Amino acid sequence: MNPTALRFGIWIVATPLLIAALGLGFQGLAAVDSSLFFAWGYFIEVLIAGLLQGVMYSLVALGFVLIFKASGIFNFAQGSMVLFAALTMVGFIEMGLHWTLAFIVTAGVMVLLALVIERVVLRPLVNQPHIILFMATIGIFYFLDGFGQTLWGSDVKVLDIGISKAPIIIAEGIFENGLLINSFDLVAALVGAVLVAVLAIFFQYTRVGRALRAVADDHQAALSVGIPLKTIWAIVWSVAGIVALVAGIMWGSKAGVQFSLALIALKALPVLILGGFTSIPGAIIGGLIIGAGEQVAEVFLGPLFGGAIQDWFAYMLALVFLLFRPQGLFGEKIIERI
Amino acid sequence: MLYREAGQFKTSYGADQAIFPIRQDQIAIALMAALAVLAVPALASEYFLETIFVPFLVFAMAALGLNILTGYCGQLSLGTGGFMACGAFFSYKLTVAFPELHIVLVFLLAGFGTAGVGVLFGLPSLRIKGFYLAVATLAAQFFLVWMFNKFDWWTNYSSSGVISAPPRELFPGIFITGTQADPVTKYLFLLGFVALLALVAKNLVRSRIGRTWMAIRDMDIAAEIIGIRPLWAKLSAFAVSSFYIGISGALWAFVYTGSVEALAFEINRSFQVLFMIIIGGLGSILGSFLGAAFIVLLPILLNNGMLAVDPTISTALVSHIEFMIFGALIIFFLIVEPHGLARLWQIAKEKLRLWPFPY
Amino acid sequence: MVETLASEGVAEHQSAPRKKIGETLLRADNITLAFGGVKALTDISFEVREHEILAIIGPNGAGKTSMLNVINGFYHPQQGRIMYLGAERRAMRPHLAARQGIARTFQNVALFKGMSTLDNIMTGRVLKMKSNIFQQAIFWGANQREEIAHREVVEKIIDFLEIEAIRKTPVGRLPYGLQKRVELARALAMEPKLLLLDEPMAGMNVEEKEDMCRFILDVNDEFGTTIALIEHDMGVVMDISDRVVVLDYGRKLADGTPDEVRANQDVIDAYLGVSH
Repeated sequence: MNPTALRFGIWIVATPLLIAALGLGFQGLAAVDSSLFFAWGYFIEVLIAGLLQGVMYSLVALGFVLIFKASGIFNFAQGSMVLFAALTMVGFIEMGLHWTLAFIVTAGVMVLLALVIERVVLRPLVNQPHIILFMATIGIFYFLDGFGQTLWGSDVKVLDIGISKAPIIIAEGIFENGLLINSFDLVAALVGAVLVAVLAIFFQYTRVGRALRAVADDHQAALSVGIPLKTIWAIVWSVAGIVALVAGIMWGSKAGVQFSLALIALKALPVLILGGFTSIPGAIIGGLIIGAGEQVAEVFLGPLFGGAIQDWFAYMLALVFLLFRPQGLFGEKIIERI
Repeated sequence: MLYREAGQFKTSYGADQAIFPIRQDQIAIALMAALAVLAVPALASEYFLETIFVPFLVFAMAALGLNILTGYCGQLSLGTGGFMACGAFFSYKLTVAFPELHIVLVFLLAGFGTAGVGVLFGLPSLRIKGFYLAVATLAAQFFLVWMFNKFDWWTNYSSSGVISAPPRELFPGIFITGTQADPVTKYLFLLGFVALLALVAKNLVRSRIGRTWMAIRDMDIAAEIIGIRPLWAKLSAFAVSSFYIGISGALWAFVYTGSVEALAFEINRSFQVLFMIIIGGLGSILGSFLGAAFIVLLPILLNNGMLAVDPTISTALVSHIEFMIFGALIIFFLIVEPHGLARLWQIAKEKLRLWPFPY
Repeated sequence: MVETLASEGVAEHQSAPRKKIGETLLRADNITLAFGGVKALTDISFEVREHEILAIIGPNGAGKTSMLNVINGFYHPQQGRIMYLGAERRAMRPHLAARQGIARTFQNVALFKGMSTLDNIMTGRVLKMKSNIFQQAIFWGANQREEIAHREVVEKIIDFLEIEAIRKTPVGRLPYGLQKRVELARALAMEPKLLLLDEPMAGMNVEEKEDMCRFILDVNDEFGTTIALIEHDMGVVMDISDRVVVLDYGRKLADGTPDEVRANQDVIDAYLGVSH
């Protein structure tokens, strides 16, 4: 049997078991410590909310993975691109554009931004060590944060594209009072799924996708077989920009468009560590694990530590994970040649 | 014409190892020292001391620390803020618990404590590199700030979460912390303290340990082949770096601001110090100072500049424009001179040595 | 051309009181190394004797560098064992190998690009330096005396390899040939018992090769260092080495003096036979 399929099969069976074990663990803890509370229905609810939150992380992480795959650059600015895109979109809506039109115009702005970044930042830094490029993206991060807020102001803005936020109650028969799910989160999950599918097809089956993978492997080698590096970079940063826009819309309409978006997006970093820097499925699964993990930890373990462990839980999870599997869940194992 | 080393021969390896082997440099440094000790306190107003010179020295200390880790040993860290917080809160707890302990000793002990924390968070560096390590250090950043913010044991149960530096003397009757301390004393104390620790840093990087750090930075495989243990080299860099950063956090809380809360050390502080070493020069002691000066001065200049152009400008807008300029400058420096101001200075000196006959 | 120049070197070398080739310094027993399903080395055994120059030759992909990496502790063979100084080595890491006196240069120069020539070679002395971190922080005193003592040793090596003029130059700025020489200097600074050289003459012109041959022979002669080297230039190999090991597709074909190897039918078929 195909080992990949086998592994996949094992995980499909193992995941529910793991979750059940986790639940039992919390139940046990709650029985011992009176500051904790546990109920199965509530646990599932928190888990689902966390998973949906995780989809949001995945959306941001996706942008990182795209750029990393295509250029080996760890784009620290992805978070601020999310903020910038959301701010710009709100700005256009406030100018009186319909949200669909605003989306198209903002997508145009993101493409323009990608072109500028390629011309001004990336091109002069070709063949520099990756760490220099990484620090350059920290520069972009600062610049975009400042630029977006200079243009559009720093007030918290409402982004409404007409997705219902009504709660839905399911599985009333199984659990007491049923399970409460936010319909908005479901839509977000759906959008995420579609986006991932489109990107996967784009990467796997188009000529540009193949060129992207070549560039990711080796800049100079790709150049020498005639792949236009500049064009490829511009394309991939544009795609990442549009992914950022989608993520920005989702985050923004959920929690309002504000500066903290750029920092929330930092949570995509542990997601990447978990999933591996080069894997699109990794970004998704990693996002789900981080989202669910931190939500569940906050609710069922948080009281032990005085709460707000969400701030660091994802990073700690990633850190512990790194010690055991440095290349991530789906990352390629790096064999160093000497 | 004046800057020539021709005719200055070295007759021993000791003389060749000196920090400033060229006589003109020795004279320049002596002049600088005289200026810093005599002229600055006499001429600068209290405002200048408090807003420029004191923070400059505190930041220079933090930049020294990060430069040891990132510039010399090549391990990227985004946890500077968290380690500064360690230094601040450790020294607070220490000096409150043992008021008779001399304050400099408290700072040093807090530094050693932070070094321990640094080693702990440096452990993953054995298995991971580059960006992965950067993310790992973010864990330190968020966890440490959360911890100091959450548990009021660290603030001795102050309701506001703010710690205030109690008055402490350097010598009997001469206060360097608390409200009685006057800016000139603070400045001179910092000047001496930072200069001394900068000298120690310079000594380390030009000795065996510094060479092991640089070897790990430049090519870890080759370093291992000549017998350097990567774990030991990296952890020692984490320890020494955190020692400096911890002390800078203590100085920040005790000497610079006088009172501080954990949130003063959030992630932006880490970036700020990282920018200092990028702009100043990675792997350069002098660069740490130049970068700190630059990053301390720039916002003040920008602020005053923008207020001069448009007095009604809002502070929010000023800070956004500041962000933009910082970001643009970082990119500019990385493109034009990845080795920072220190390298520019070096180039200028090389040119000057040949001037006016460049061939 | 190379052959004649190199043979002159050998002639001199042999006219000097002939060095004594001693006991076995390192012995590889039935080494097998695989990456996933790919076998890089299959059942390889050979020995390196004290004070000799041993050449490992073979076509590209024969497993020569892998063999050095095993000796060095970078790779861990699935089967077989390495006996070094009469004892079996276990759980080897490169830095432990260095502690036992094994030095190494690389096929692609592996210098510390950000440091000067002097600092690169001084770094080779790391294991010999003893002052602790506090002495280093103070610098003056014990640490400075130590620095100066080691600087003197390093200066001798610089003198030996004739690289005085580039002492303070950052190695990144040096031409390839000189970089290789600095790398050799760094390995020599470790005062190794066994020196592994991975293609020390790759990409060099005739004069540079000639210099490098001279240095290798001198090192072997003056310090009695045992040398195991990988080289593609047959002329050089046949002239400077005491014994030759031939690898092909991860297996050992032959082992013996240059003349024996040259006469070996397997070697002629698999390797030298190509030109027939």
